[in-house]
Amino acid sequence: MDFPKIFDVIVVGGGHAGTEAALASARAGSLTLLLSHNIETLGQMSCNPSIGGIGKGHLVKEIDALGGAMAAATDEGGIQFRILNASKGHAVRATRAQADRILYKQAIRRRLENQENLWLFQQAVDDLMVENDRVTGVVTQLGLRFRAKTVVLTAGTFLSGLIHVGQSNYPAGRAGDPPAISLAHRLRELNLPVGRLKTGTPPRIDGRTINFSLLQEQHGDTPEPVFSFIGKTSQHPRQLPCWITETNLKTHDIIRGGLDRSPLFTGVIEGVGPRYCPSIEDKITRFADKDSHQIYLEPEGLTTHEFYPNGISTSLPFDVQLALVRSMKGMENAHILRPGYAIEYDYFNPIGLKNSLESKHINGLFFAGQINGTTGYEEAAAQGLLAGLNAHLQAHEQASWCPRRDEAYLGVMVDDLITSGVTEPYRMFTSRAEYRLQLREDNADLRLTEIGRKFGLVDDARWQAFETKREAIALEEQRLRKTWVNPKQLPEVDAVRVLGKQIEHEYALYELLRRPAVDYANLLTLPGAGTPVSDEKVAEQVEIQAKYQGYIDRQRDEIERALQYDEMALPSDLNYREVRGLSIEVQQKLNQFMPETVGQAARISGITPAAISLLLVHLKRGFGAARTGQQAA
Amino acid sequence: MTAVQSKPDTIAAIATAAGQGGVGVIRISGRGVSALAVALLGELPPARHARYCEFPDAQGLVIDQGLAIFFKSPHSYTGEDVLELQGHGGTAVLQLLLQRCLSLGARLAEAGEFTRRAFLNNKIDLAQAEGVADLIEATTAQAARSAMRSLQGEFSRTVQNLVAELINLRMLVEAMLDFPEEDLDSIDTSRRDAQLALISQQLNLTLASAQQGSLLREGARIALVGQPNVGKSSLLNCLAGEEIALVSDVPGTTRDVVRQEIQINGVPLHIMDTAGLRDSQDAVENMGMARTHQTMQKADLILLLCDAGQPNNIADDEIIALLPKNLPMLRVYNKLDTCPGLTLTDSSKEIAVSAKTGQNITELRLKILSLVGWRDMASGAFMARERHLNALQQAQLHLSAAQTARDLPELFAEELRLAQTQLSSITGAFSPDDLLGEIFSRFCIGK
Repeated sequence: MDFPKIFDVIVVGGGHAGTEAALASARAGSLTLLLSHNIETLGQMSCNPSIGGIGKGHLVKEIDALGGAMAAATDEGGIQFRILNASKGHAVRATRAQADRILYKQAIRRRLENQENLWLFQQAVDDLMVENDRVTGVVTQLGLRFRAKTVVLTAGTFLSGLIHVGQSNYPAGRAGDPPAISLAHRLRELNLPVGRLKTGTPPRIDGRTINFSLLQEQHGDTPEPVFSFIGKTSQHPRQLPCWITETNLKTHDIIRGGLDRSPLFTGVIEGVGPRYCPSIEDKITRFADKDSHQIYLEPEGLTTHEFYPNGISTSLPFDVQLALVRSMKGMENAHILRPGYAIEYDYFNPIGLKNSLESKHINGLFFAGQINGTTGYEEAAAQGLLAGLNAHLQAHEQASWCPRRDEAYLGVMVDDLITSGVTEPYRMFTSRAEYRLQLREDNADLRLTEIGRKFGLVDDARWQAFETKREAIALEEQRLRKTWVNPKQLPEVDAVRVLGKQIEHEYALYELLRRPAVDYANLLTLPGAGTPVSDEKVAEQVEIQAKYQGYIDRQRDEIERALQYDEMALPSDLNYREVRGLSIEVQQKLNQFMPETVGQAARISGITPAAISLLLVHLKRGFGAARTGQQAA
Repeated sequence: MTAVQSKPDTIAAIATAAGQGGVGVIRISGRGVSALAVALLGELPPARHARYCEFPDAQGLVIDQGLAIFFKSPHSYTGEDVLELQGHGGTAVLQLLLQRCLSLGARLAEAGEFTRRAFLNNKIDLAQAEGVADLIEATTAQAARSAMRSLQGEFSRTVQNLVAELINLRMLVEAMLDFPEEDLDSIDTSRRDAQLALISQQLNLTLASAQQGSLLREGARIALVGQPNVGKSSLLNCLAGEEIALVSDVPGTTRDVVRQEIQINGVPLHIMDTAGLRDSQDAVENMGMARTHQTMQKADLILLLCDAGQPNNIADDEIIALLPKNLPMLRVYNKLDTCPGLTLTDSSKEIAVSAKTGQNITELRLKILSLVGWRDMASGAFMARERHLNALQQAQLHLSAAQTARDLPELFAEELRLAQTQLSSITGAFSPDDLLGEIFSRFCIGK
């Protein structure tokens, strides 16, 4: 039957990408349907019970600045919070939290159920309705036809998912969930660039069988960091420690003894796995000289004994898993609650996507999350939010939006995905961002809240808190720029205490704050420096901005140059074989990638500045380089 | 984030064909042109008026004199502010002038970049655009060939080594930033500093040995030796004869060495005329000889002047025995006019000339230049090489900034990244993904 209601946006899948997509689309004002094969698993953390980390935490803060759910849900479900790289500069600091799976899921579910414009429905999707290269809706397992103007696909690892444990394997989407076979077949028919990836997960351990007295304990930070810009420590549930054990030579012998039954090493698994998240069998083979690997035992929640042993992801047969787990200190009697496994799944190479995450081949169809070849909850959620927003914008005939590389990690990720494609699961790292010094966790709100507000993603409470903070920062910065310190009036003892030595001439406080060894609180103790601001976050931001100012100013030229090219649109029907002077290799590459702008073309590997010049000439002759209308900012 | 106005940087290049032609033109285009004009000429010439001026170097010494014409945006070839400097056509003079412009903030234009800008600013109509593709193709191919030539041999190997060392250091630094939770061997700061110092030092050496610029600025020292009356001073006058900046007698610090400065193709040569060099029993003269010998050790080239009429003279051999053995030497037989039939055994180390008739003097000049390391390259090759050196210099700046920021890991990493970006313009792109690949192959990452 045809479902009686026609939606603006349908989101297929209820993981981290799907839930953020549905929330964003509905928040922005689209009538949205979220379809999941199982409403009970909405917002499920299917792998490790933690959110954030270097690069990933940055994404979570950006999601939060755009009104997304992940940071806020983590504040409600987090059972341990830490700031990584706390001893290093702010640009590389990141928040990481252990989360209670159940509390996290509840926090997401509550938001979904209470979101205006958002409908939930439990049915697996089997088919897409496509008319004249435009998606018009989806068909579920029961044959229900749902129509919508746009569709967001967030199928995760479910497309033709195949789970491996030792030499046995079986189709599944995630442990305990069925795979999406029909949908995968249907998508393969659409002739999209499809590939196969692999990821893995460790066996889970019953905490009652772990001897914690032998293990090193790891607590969260005090005071507890908060994830959301409008979150509070008081939202946090009871906090738990993690525990650290390690593999040893005996563990490694056990693993080596099982390699002949490993699907990874016997060639059964074809998909490419991530280099930065290797299975334990991979680690001891590639780094054979390492005698030991640290294993973090992470609690899965407050109401369960289950532990997640981070570091022993494996697809070895169960008997080997049990022996290797029990060979480690404190784990001698460990009971495995769920076996570890590897999963292979279909993904669609994101070179087939626009920077709105819409398919270049099927109009109105958006892709987000692991289906695009990324890994990680945070990467998925960030894409989901962007795809949901752009699906909404298209349904309302508005221009799409994607942050630039200098505006957000989200922009870096999408640009990397569409201009480089994916050959192994893509994970965010700060080293991927050339503008790392300005893409910080601490200023994600300053970078993105305003644009989020414009699109209707940011509610009044967040907006007011943001405006107050932004104003306070600007005021205090101005004050520091206008407050001068004169060496004649500055007592030597104060100068030495705060600045190390007397100043040679008059300085504005702001200039002094730029010095590496000077901090805000101390600076404000100088006579005549005035009253420090009371909001710590404001003081912190003023200080950080002063410290990085020189570096960020220096990058401006580079950014401006990149911007020129990013504003030049390339026609989607451009045949690069007709561009005079381009080498065959460059022609093929451009025809394959079909970049949307000259900027994207220039970032594709192997595309030279000369090729870009030739392209510009061609545009001038035939088409004329148009300005894109997509940059709504 | 506030919207920023596009601001193309300022580019410069020699706009005339290579060679020793009469007039040479340097074109500069971009938003920084007026500031550059003021810094170079002392003022911004009125738009579209040819003005005769001096083009001084950083010390105020005149490199060349000629016409400066300023074209105000949009009424210029590129549509941006453009300054054209028309000077003498000699390669060295033009290159000195170009380097001066670069030191004032312009960067070397890429192949076809002026045309590309013209084009982006709608200064070229559709018909003209047809020709532009061909031009870009041709200049690109030529630039690529030039770059290849510049990159051959020792220079290339050194740069590749540099990059490998830098990648190694970056790998350690970035791994620490991106993977703080892995139990990586934390970077030993003294090892890090040593590594950085080593890279920096290698970079300096590469720069010093590869730089024509220093040759242009500082010139080469040439020791002129030979028996009395073989015609040293007439040869000197002859060598310097046609040049602009002429022989100026500078009294030597001792009576044994007379210094003179001449220019060949714009390259300054400091000639040390060691008049008294011959075997002597005289004690006083021997002391002078010792000093002479010291002076000669500092020379870049020794010119041994002999009489073409008396080859294989025993007195010449005695002089040779006294010369430092580690320096390049050119044996010049003068007075070729008196014995035209002279045959040479090794033309790489010998040449026969006549200071009197001027015969073979041009060849001698070129030979001297070549022996002191001056490569009279076609301008394309020069540009390519200059681009590489420029990249090395920029990289060097970032490495010293890294040195200052070494206790602030994210700033340290940023400077290293920028240094590598500069070197990548020589050796080819190195993406963040390549760097991550290095990290994953070196460290066991992933819990």
